[in-house]
Amino acid sequence: MTTLWILLCSLGILALGAGIAAITYKQHKTCSWISFATVFASTTGIIYCAAQVFINGPIKTAQPLFSLPGIGASLMITVDALSALFLVITSVICFCSTLYSIHYMSYYKGESLLRYYPFLLLFALGMMGVVCVSDMLFFFVFWEFMTLTSYVLVIYERNEEINLRAGFLYFLLTHIGLLCMFVAAFLLYARVGSFSFKEMQNAMGMLLTQNTALLHLVLTLFFIGFATKAAALPFGAWLPEAHPVAPSSISAILSGVMIKMGVYGILRVFVWMLPSSHAWYIWGGVIAIFGIISMVIGSLAALTQDDNKKLIAFSSIGQIGYILLAVGMGMSFLRVAPPLAAVAFLAALYHLVNDAALKALWFLNAGSIIYRIGTRDLNRMGGLGTLMPITATTGLIACLSVAGIPPLSSFTSKWLIFQSSLIGGIDMPIYLVFGVAAFFMSVVTLAYALKYMNATFLGKSHGEINRSLITEVPISMKIPQIILAVICLGLGVLPIMVLKVLYPALNSLLPFGYLPRFTALFGSGLTGINLSFAGGISGMWNPLWLIIAAGFCFGLGYLVFRFSSAGGSRVRVAETWYGGRKHAAGEVRYTSLSFYVPFKQYFAFRVKGIDFEGLYPKTLHLPRMTIPQWLRAVLDIDHWLYYPFASGFVRLSQWFSRVHVGIPQVYILWIIIGVIAAIIVLFTLPAG
Amino acid sequence: MSYSHCQRGKDMTSAIGIGILNLFIALGLSPLFEGVARKLRATVHSRIGPPVIQPYYDLLKLLGKEDIRSSSNYLAGLAPWACFAVVATATLFVPIGTGEAPFGAFGDAILFIYIIALAAVALIVTAAASENPFALIGASREMMMHLAVEPVLAIALITAAINARSFGMGDMVNWYHFHGPSLSMITATIFLFLALQAQVGKLPFDIPEAEQEVMGGVLIEQSGPQYALLMWSMMTKQIIFVSLFCQIFIPWPRTGNLAWDILIHLAKVLVVVLIIGLIDVVNPRLRIDQAIKYYLLLVFFSLGSIAFAVIGA
Repeated sequence: MTTLWILLCSLGILALGAGIAAITYKQHKTCSWISFATVFASTTGIIYCAAQVFINGPIKTAQPLFSLPGIGASLMITVDALSALFLVITSVICFCSTLYSIHYMSYYKGESLLRYYPFLLLFALGMMGVVCVSDMLFFFVFWEFMTLTSYVLVIYERNEEINLRAGFLYFLLTHIGLLCMFVAAFLLYARVGSFSFKEMQNAMGMLLTQNTALLHLVLTLFFIGFATKAAALPFGAWLPEAHPVAPSSISAILSGVMIKMGVYGILRVFVWMLPSSHAWYIWGGVIAIFGIISMVIGSLAALTQDDNKKLIAFSSIGQIGYILLAVGMGMSFLRVAPPLAAVAFLAALYHLVNDAALKALWFLNAGSIIYRIGTRDLNRMGGLGTLMPITATTGLIACLSVAGIPPLSSFTSKWLIFQSSLIGGIDMPIYLVFGVAAFFMSVVTLAYALKYMNATFLGKSHGEINRSLITEVPISMKIPQIILAVICLGLGVLPIMVLKVLYPALNSLLPFGYLPRFTALFGSGLTGINLSFAGGISGMWNPLWLIIAAGFCFGLGYLVFRFSSAGGSRVRVAETWYGGRKHAAGEVRYTSLSFYVPFKQYFAFRVKGIDFEGLYPKTLHLPRMTIPQWLRAVLDIDHWLYYPFASGFVRLSQWFSRVHVGIPQVYILWIIIGVIAAIIVLFTLPAG
Repeated sequence: MSYSHCQRGKDMTSAIGIGILNLFIALGLSPLFEGVARKLRATVHSRIGPPVIQPYYDLLKLLGKEDIRSSSNYLAGLAPWACFAVVATATLFVPIGTGEAPFGAFGDAILFIYIIALAAVALIVTAAASENPFALIGASREMMMHLAVEPVLAIALITAAINARSFGMGDMVNWYHFHGPSLSMITATIFLFLALQAQVGKLPFDIPEAEQEVMGGVLIEQSGPQYALLMWSMMTKQIIFVSLFCQIFIPWPRTGNLAWDILIHLAKVLVVVLIIGLIDVVNPRLRIDQAIKYYLLLVFFSLGSIAFAVIGA
């Protein structure tokens, strides 16, 4: 069996699993486990295929699987290293999320699983399809598939109006984005008459020489589409609304994987498809600016949130900002300084992988809290760390990871972003400013991550929480979190190995030999990075030695403790006592609302009656789906077709029923009249 | 480079040797500097004051006391330990008297900033895990101070890095030592000095602890060995920051002889610690919003040093 067949089977089994899940949805357990088994099988296959791609190079279909010759589109599968990277991210996170769902979905009593598992599997299939195809039309088909299934999953709790409105905003914005991309693709299609990526690339080359203005229009439309999906502000207004209403396992996929598809699109279209030109420089700047906007507003807005999932949602926007900043930087540097560009792109890919793992972990963590105490309000939590120690530990890892604390994985990616923006920015000072802003925002990131940690797991519990009833979540909800936490830790220990794996993915975007050799950038060390991309080593980072040093220093601390206990010191746990007396549970608390108050006030203002907190509107006025009166009248078939017909029928029947008078003689009279009428008819008919 | 020892990654044993020396200076001598600062405070108050080695007695005494924890959360026990370990680790990434940090081959200035941030994280988690609302107020203030002050440190180090074209601490020191004073570095030095008071948590910026308002804030529930570790790590943090300041931003004079260099460095540190102590004793505490406003303004102006560095001034 070839790798391609294994890939197709891995995708096919998801569709099959969706069908079976749709049949068995009434048996909660069967349906969950079948879905989990399907995703597990698919994940295994995908990881095997990805490994093959990384070792043996890209796989592609020789013949189109399906083609529409009339419009020049055909379903071609091409999996290069970049696609393989996204396939692995998608499958691993969908795996964790499905495992998590088995127990988590019991939280949603009274909602049908028919609207969950089949759509979850199809959602995974859609995302995998997006990165596999090499034809723009089918790219859109899978893209739309991904959008629609995720829309159904977002509005899973469909009985609340707020959920439907959030879902509608998502639906509306992503479809505006899709429309833009479709127009862009059609403009290119008009040049070459084919939807295949290769031909689109040629079309871009033609436009570059013949009609630059049109090329920039095409790129603008593509950018709007991808930025909407990637939730870059201001296009990503759907994300903070959709996340709190979606089930947490779905939020994990939305933030962990789906918004990264926007980044995939940007890399595919702006780097791979767009030929080497001045356009790289311009669009790199544009993407970086939108990245910095998302980063600043997303991070500051996250600081002000009191809804735990909304906080994480804004954090997603902030981290997408980091990724887009790095991508933009890479594009700007690509023509003038390929080594700088390589580092910036690698930082983007590395941060993307890290953010996928940690965001999924964080949402699952928030979901565990919701599962146990049934609220998303950070003000009504507190003190859960003692009751749920494992959840608290995974939460702490997620929080430290998003803040980029070494040696967790996202430190390395942020380190690479700072290195390339600050050292590379010497020649392009705008990136120096962006780099400093990114640095400041990383401290803000730390602040909101600690706010989540403090408000949820530490401090005193809210009075409404019955502490005797709260225990650790079931094991099937713990395991995915542990897996993701181990990924967050593990990716950070040997960053040079991760970079080595990511480098082919980056190289697959650009012509062979465009970027410098790996060892020329990162040194030839096996454990540490010696970054040299601007002449001379400009940065060193070796997590292994940091861990050894920290281990030694922890040992010193341990010695101090031993010394202390040898001196007669004993540990005793006593309740807190302040203000002259003991306090009842939840009586005196310092809530999430009060955290960082003077700092938050610097970013709160009021414009035209709209309150802004952390530079973002406090409440977004969600659109109401309104249909004009005339259209409503036309669509209301009952009104103009069924009701008139039915009432006419009823009236006719009532008129007929008048003949039922209940007297046998009258009935006989009717029969005689009928017979006479029949005879007359028969006689008047022409003979023969 | 005039130093034969700890050339990057070449000589592991001397790196470890200098590392142990750094740990000794930062951990072992930090209570002494604190004692000198206390003596200075007493002198200004016209008191006799405690002996210079009083902080050592304090630590010893605390280590023998009962360790009363206000929460059974395991983080309440782990976080002070982590705070101490992290601060000790940070000493390995700062040059103290030597031209190059002992572990400079394994981590640069960005790593240092993050490790120091981790020390603040450990302190905040310690406070929050103690479940005392006053401690949480302190934690919130600690984080806000960090938000306002950390960028100043970062900008000063970025200025040095742009000049040296490298984030390695050793490269920065050597560049400045050989290149001589420049406008960008002097600007950065001034702004970092203005931020030093808050970095080491002294008046007028000891807002997270603020004994009179929030009764010690982050430290309110700490006792015994945990408190000793936290006190010790705060004193050590002071030495780390002052060393960083003296080494990167005032790298002269340098003899090339290790013993002399370390002595000169300690003298410089003592002077800066005394200045900090003097500012500490003659100032009242600011409110948190005043402090944030002051530092955000400082961040804004210190961007000028980066601008100078870019144009090569």
